[in-house]
Amino acid sequence: MSKKYILGVFDDEATLVDAFEKLKDKGVMPVEVYTPYPVHEILEGMPIKTRITHAAFFYGLFAALGILGFLTYAAVIDWPLRYGGKPFNAFPSFIVVTIVATILAITLLTLFTFSARAKVFPGKKAEIFHERATDDKFVMVFDEEGIANESESLKAILTEHGKIE
Amino acid sequence: MFNSAVRGKLIDGDKSYSQISKEILAPIHAKTPLWWYAAMLVSLGMFGFGLYCKYITISTGIGTWGVNNSVAWGWAIINFVWWIGIGHAGTAFSIFLLILRQKWRTAINRAAEAMTVVAVFCASLFPLLHMGRPWLFFFIFPYPNTRGPLWVNFNSPLFWDFVAISAYLLISASFWYFGMVPDFATIRDTAKSKIKKAVYGFFAFGWTGSSREWLRFEGLSFVLGGIAAVLVVSVHSIVSTDFAVSVQAGWHTTIFPPYFVIGAIFSGFAMVLTLVITMRGLYNMNDFITDRHVDAVCRILIFISLIMGTAYMTEIFIAWYSASEYETYMFFKNRLFGDYAFQFWAMFTANAVIPQLFWFKAVRKRMWIVFIISIIINIGMWFERFNIVVTTLSRDYLPAAWANYSPTYVEIGFFVGTLGMFLAGVLLFFRYIPMIAISELKSVAKFDKPNNGQLKAKSHE
Repeated sequence: MSKKYILGVFDDEATLVDAFEKLKDKGVMPVEVYTPYPVHEILEGMPIKTRITHAAFFYGLFAALGILGFLTYAAVIDWPLRYGGKPFNAFPSFIVVTIVATILAITLLTLFTFSARAKVFPGKKAEIFHERATDDKFVMVFDEEGIANESESLKAILTEHGKIE
Repeated sequence: MFNSAVRGKLIDGDKSYSQISKEILAPIHAKTPLWWYAAMLVSLGMFGFGLYCKYITISTGIGTWGVNNSVAWGWAIINFVWWIGIGHAGTAFSIFLLILRQKWRTAINRAAEAMTVVAVFCASLFPLLHMGRPWLFFFIFPYPNTRGPLWVNFNSPLFWDFVAISAYLLISASFWYFGMVPDFATIRDTAKSKIKKAVYGFFAFGWTGSSREWLRFEGLSFVLGGIAAVLVVSVHSIVSTDFAVSVQAGWHTTIFPPYFVIGAIFSGFAMVLTLVITMRGLYNMNDFITDRHVDAVCRILIFISLIMGTAYMTEIFIAWYSASEYETYMFFKNRLFGDYAFQFWAMFTANAVIPQLFWFKAVRKRMWIVFIISIIINIGMWFERFNIVVTTLSRDYLPAAWANYSPTYVEIGFFVGTLGMFLAGVLLFFRYIPMIAISELKSVAKFDKPNNGQLKAKSHE
């Protein structure tokens, strides 16, 4: 199953964004855009979204409740011990551990989520369209079938500042 | 947001994107220089001596240290707090400058975070060995056990500290690593040798720079950045509660958490300066870490130094104002003029007085003076911890329990060993990891261009 792709290769962010916006007005969307650093116009313009921040919030919420619950269970229910005249449920001094352990839980879980959702994980083989997209080229990838009717105007816009490979 | 009229250019030399990657990756692709092997040999020698001292500590016991019943916390805790303080700047640097939208951080944050990871690792060894029986260290994990199950004391700052340090080590290491993934991909795609391609390709986790990856990467940095800011402030506050929650004169004060956090950032920024000036000198990174970057860090150090001075004065003032006999004795008799007066005045001079030289532009632009002052600050911060730990413990409420303290060669060797470990870590970092965050640097390169590098005039951020 070898699909045919058209690559639009640009030298800098400005020309990439310009071509991207012109094409978007025409209703042509690239399959994927590869850039050496995040370009916000592209990230906002592509039909993709991420809920990773929402996920992080819920990880934090459940982690905080879980950890506080565990501390209370261990210190109050399972084996109550009097420390320095404090009540068994010494809530204020549980807050410290809850905060730090929650931060740890959020970090690790969000990292795993990122790894799973962005498909960036150890041992993965990179699917490279253009060798220099991690160096100094900004690359838009188009599926040749999907843009059959617009291919002429697409090529015109791409070659205005960039080139086709 | 970045105003080049005020700050000047972020990168000198009007470089193209490929030049940026090439110049930063040059040390990785080049042959290992001879001085690197020499320096590595020295640091491994120090590390080896440290291992020997650790062996003595474990096989014979804590009795080989100079600590005694009164001064039970000696160099181990001093060095622990010192390393943790240094380890603080990496994350503080990235996070606070990220929050303040300081774009010049991009040239320095990678080195700062590398320093964090190594320093926190060095720090964690000290409490571990100070336990005396480190093979039972897992007793501090709250796990279901056959001793009851008897849980650990969740009210104890020492347990908080354990949680905080392990969380900090894990979080700063993963924060640092994920920042490097796009740069590893750059190495993979620019490397000529097959082995390099395979090794860095593995560490790049299949990164390609697609918009799907970048979008989630941005989300991840946003989340990690936000919560790590809380972590930076809380970890060293927790370290300070190791002292402040006790009832010792000179420790039992509410100023401790902010005082420790600021002190940590102070020593960490000084170590960052030491490190980046070394990087500039050895690898010719002057176009990326410009004089203006060093200048900016120096200005921050003046400010923090003033806070440190204020904190010292506040402690002394409150000791008098509280009218507490013990506090007054601790500060006016013991710290200022007692057996350890040298350490107090060394701390005061190095942290509150000498950094004031940074007010002068002539000092800020002479790299060797900045370098020396950055080292003096680190020594001063070491004396601060000595001052806090030893003066208080050596003069208890009960004169019968008064004792002085000096370290044995085992403790000194242990410390030298961690210095060697730190140096070796830094050398490995210089050799095998891009010293500057390439992708982040590229993303700010456009701010040096007219019209922010946009075709149309448009506000950015």
